[in-house]
Amino acid sequence: MNPVLTMDSATLSPIHLFLQADLVVKGVMIGLLLASVWTWALIVAFWRRLGKTRKGLARFERDFWKAEDIDVFYKAESETDLPSARVFAAGVTEWRRSTAGGTIDKAGTRERLATTMGAAVAHEIDTLSDRLNVLATVGSVAPFVGLFGTVWGIMRSFTSIAAAQNTSLAVVAPGIAEALFATAIGLFAAIPAVIAYNRFSHGINRIEASLNRFADGFHATLSRQLDGAR
Amino acid sequence: MDRSEKIGFGVALVGHVVLFALLSVGFLDTPEPPKIVQQPIDISLVPDVALEAIAPQSAETPAESVAPDEGTPEDAAPPAPQEAEPEPQPDPVPPAPQPAPPKPAPKPAPPKPAPKPEPKPEPKPVAKPRPAPPKPVAKPAPVPKPVAKPAPAKPSPAKSKPAPAKPAAKPSPAKAAPAKSAAKSNAAPAKSAASSAKPAKPSATKGSGSTADAKAARPRGSRLGDNFLKGLSADPSPSKSEAPKAAKLGAQAAANIGSAILRQVQPCANRQVTPGPGAERIRVTINLKLNRDGTLKSRPTITGHAGVDDENRRYVDRVDDLAIATFTGCSPLRGLPDDLYDVQNGWSNFSLRYKLPG
Repeated sequence: MNPVLTMDSATLSPIHLFLQADLVVKGVMIGLLLASVWTWALIVAFWRRLGKTRKGLARFERDFWKAEDIDVFYKAESETDLPSARVFAAGVTEWRRSTAGGTIDKAGTRERLATTMGAAVAHEIDTLSDRLNVLATVGSVAPFVGLFGTVWGIMRSFTSIAAAQNTSLAVVAPGIAEALFATAIGLFAAIPAVIAYNRFSHGINRIEASLNRFADGFHATLSRQLDGAR
Repeated sequence: MDRSEKIGFGVALVGHVVLFALLSVGFLDTPEPPKIVQQPIDISLVPDVALEAIAPQSAETPAESVAPDEGTPEDAAPPAPQEAEPEPQPDPVPPAPQPAPPKPAPKPAPPKPAPKPEPKPEPKPVAKPRPAPPKPVAKPAPVPKPVAKPAPAKPSPAKSKPAPAKPAAKPSPAKAAPAKSAAKSNAAPAKSAASSAKPAKPSATKGSGSTADAKAARPRGSRLGDNFLKGLSADPSPSKSEAPKAAKLGAQAAANIGSAILRQVQPCANRQVTPGPGAERIRVTINLKLNRDGTLKSRPTITGHAGVDDENRRYVDRVDDLAIATFTGCSPLRGLPDDLYDVQNGWSNFSLRYKLPG
């Protein structure tokens, strides 16, 4: 590599910096780029999924409380791909199983209903928050990985100073620029990941709270129904 | 990986590719750094200082640093002759009293006839080979002679020859003289006189200068080394209180005169109005032809410009006029050194750089 500093745009373009870099720094850059792509893929996916889920939840709850007959509503909505629909289905399934026999254990039925719907909510939240840990990992680790590439590249630049017996900036500048590029990519990947992680965690918490509220309301309805049964 | 994740992956991939492509083609490049405009500054390269003497007087040859030699230097006499010196002198004296007792001891009668004939023959043989000088020394010699016989006197010159051969042996005959016969004592003073007389002439030779005569006759030389006047001149000092007139005005003096002129025209320069932005960067080289009283011989001329760029190019002519007006307005220049007027590069025809104040 010729340590020549030329201030044209090609020298400091990302491709040029990448091609000039050391093998280790190249690996760091590639890894960070993949992490960034994956982060953004997850961001887009979560955005779509959470938005769709939140809208569906609102619509489902509104329809549920409007519904005259739970059995009719169950027939219409049980196949809907919504967490609240699945929680509702779990509750209805447990209700039917518990009330199928002659005598009804009211307290036991209530406990089973609560447990079943709680489990359904937990499962839905687990499914929703899957891969959110990737965002957390990228957000916390990518800066360090980029820093590692930078330190490595700067060490290499100083080695080239020693080799060239020349302390002029022209010897060091390209190496330091490409080394700092690694940190730049790391921050480029980490910053959106951290922001997205916080935002989506918040969104999932809200969905979880909403699901729990729906489950509690449905549980109250079923429990009231249970009181009327003999 | 469900559908939304696939969509997300596609979107992210496309987004990254687009972003890096944009960066690669210079989408977010830093703008070109602005070119640094360098302001012209006056630099005067001064190779020498003060007045230059192009053809100074040729250096006078310094006087020789040698003391005036008034005689050959005195030789350091070898110690032996100096010790011997007193001996021969007292020798003639003691023989005198010694011969005196012998006089009465031998016959008083024969002495009378003896002295007369004897002195005559004795001086002859001795005097001929060694002429004048023996006389003073030879006089004491005759005193003991009365005792001596004429017969031994003749062999004395023959004996005397071996004697002078050894200068160190001088004392020995002198000692022997009183103890032995008068004949020997006769011969001994004669020889001593002869030996002393010989050395007197070749005074430069060593060991001979023992006698008083030789000492008195010799000129005394200086014992100083021949370099005791090193760096001093024997002649009266040729330096004068005033420096010789230089043939050329040195760069330092020229710069001093230039600054003196600029100081005097400063009031007129301050009255000038700058014609436009950037005009103060123009430096004109102006040529003044001056009389000895400081007045201008003719209208100043502009001989060159510096610091002209695109911004102030259109003000060049105006700056020229303003510069000429400045120097004509304050024209009787005073206090310039008169001795630097008509030397080479003197201020009779003086060029200096001028710029508008500001």
